[in-house]
Amino acid sequence: MKKLGKTFRRLFHRQKQLNRSMAGNTLLFVLMGICGVFMALPLVMIANNALKPLDEIYQYPPKIFVRNPTLENFSDLFVLMNDSWVPFSRYIINTVIITGGGTVGHVLVASLAAYPLAKRNFPGKSIVFSMVVLSMMFSWTVTQIPNYMIISWLHINNNYLALILPAWQYGMGLYLMKQFMEQIPDSLLESARLDGASEFRVFWTIVMPNVKPAWLTLAIFQFQQMWGNTGSMYLRDEALKPLQFALQQITAGGAARAGASAAVTFFIAAIPIIFFLACQSNVLETMTTSGMKE
Amino acid sequence: MKKKKRLTLTQKRSLTGLTFILPWLIGFIIFYLRSLIMTVDFSFSTIEVNPQAGGYNQTFAGWENFRYAFQVHGTFKQVLTTSIGDILIDVPLIIFFSLFMALVLNRKFRGRTLVRAIFFLPVIMNSEAITAALDYSRQQLMGGLTAASAEVMEGSGGMSLDYYIDMFGSLGMPDMILEYIVGAIGRLTDIISASGVQIIIFIAALQAIAPSMYEVAKIEGATGYETFWKVTFPMVLPHIITNLVYTVVINFAESEIVTLSYSTIFSENNYGLGSAFALISTLIVCLILVIVVGFIQKRTFYYN
Repeated sequence: MKKLGKTFRRLFHRQKQLNRSMAGNTLLFVLMGICGVFMALPLVMIANNALKPLDEIYQYPPKIFVRNPTLENFSDLFVLMNDSWVPFSRYIINTVIITGGGTVGHVLVASLAAYPLAKRNFPGKSIVFSMVVLSMMFSWTVTQIPNYMIISWLHINNNYLALILPAWQYGMGLYLMKQFMEQIPDSLLESARLDGASEFRVFWTIVMPNVKPAWLTLAIFQFQQMWGNTGSMYLRDEALKPLQFALQQITAGGAARAGASAAVTFFIAAIPIIFFLACQSNVLETMTTSGMKE
Repeated sequence: MKKKKRLTLTQKRSLTGLTFILPWLIGFIIFYLRSLIMTVDFSFSTIEVNPQAGGYNQTFAGWENFRYAFQVHGTFKQVLTTSIGDILIDVPLIIFFSLFMALVLNRKFRGRTLVRAIFFLPVIMNSEAITAALDYSRQQLMGGLTAASAEVMEGSGGMSLDYYIDMFGSLGMPDMILEYIVGAIGRLTDIISASGVQIIIFIAALQAIAPSMYEVAKIEGATGYETFWKVTFPMVLPHIITNLVYTVVINFAESEIVTLSYSTIFSENNYGLGSAFALISTLIVCLILVIVVGFIQKRTFYYN
């Protein structure tokens, strides 16, 4: 057995990279290619639709790729935007407030709460934690009526807060942060405390940088959630509604607006992807330089 | 205030712990716990909407809604078992697939960011906004590309699937396993598109493993296989639990039973019964989750 291991090792060492074979790489590549195509197809379609002139959008059987690309759809969209009742910049500001407030607030609140749950003992800890899990399980489609009653009871109906505040308390973010914080060695926190760091300082300068991949991931989810929120349940004033709502109105405009709505779809899909790419490149570089040595 | 006792160190510490949790806890109690309690309350009562006066009348009904759900309601039990069965089939597949994909995507290769972005796409595609937008464009395309490709997949997949079932059946594979695999193949698209978030969580978990561990493993002469089972897998195990919980939650939220309770509430206006449906199914899924997580947790290695 030992000998076999040795020969294997020698075999692998001869290659520059450990544990890689040509066949394995090819297989992986093919597999990833297939899955990747599966996943990318809808987006490719969305991107191409946005560039199609009207007659190609209605072509049957539909083609994936555009033949005569135009930017007409986008200019149509801008015309529609300028025609809207509330200035379009208003929708954009609303979205920035709701999405930004919901995402930043949630990441902060969830991480703060997750730290003692992961690293501290206090009475009632297990109760709090089981409530988190239960709250995640309970499907919020069913509790829409109580939710609405609570929002109006707080008098934050028809206000940004109706969307932002509940978003801070999603159980999933807390759960995710707690799981990642548990992995940080206690000795790291202990040494910071010995050096006289306050509890908040430990959290902010030791814990948070160490779980940067986790909270960036959380930010990606939350951004995604908030971005998709039309707010039609709580926001009645047109001037408070987010971009998503305005865009859906355009899309719902029917056949005559098929071109503009294709551009809208592209736009809706593109922003979260850009956000993801921006965060993702940061996730990559974090852990390798952190001070986790045992 | 003068009489205030000095707190012991442990008390002080637990107090700081509480202050950290407080912002979350207050919001949680206001927004979530309250609506949870209200739903439980509704499930034990009969709700009648009062259009003239506005609001609703609530009368206590005891276990009536629960009795009705199990003994009288036509489809509840069947929908409940199928949705729980679906969860039990889908969740392990999603976990394995996403762990595998995360391992692959965590390697260094050219164009990694692009590939990762592609695998994140389904998460975006699953969002409400995109689904709505896609639905519109699909309508406009008169069953456009997405539907067409789905049809093609189904058509060709269906044929070869039967062939494979026959083949493995004649080899004497147990029916249970066979059905599971066949089901899995049928769900392939669902599974791929449902594992975007899980892949990201696993990638984040893999990033969190200290490189020095791999270095040690390399110096000690571990093979890739050994490194995976002795270093990567134990370090990722806590996040298998994370992903398990996440996947169950998401799958459950989209399951038929939730749709049933939703339609009972909003189309049949039977708020009490719908709440009871939601309560029963949530409790069952919670129970399963607790058992499975407890099982894995015992085998989990935590750093300290």
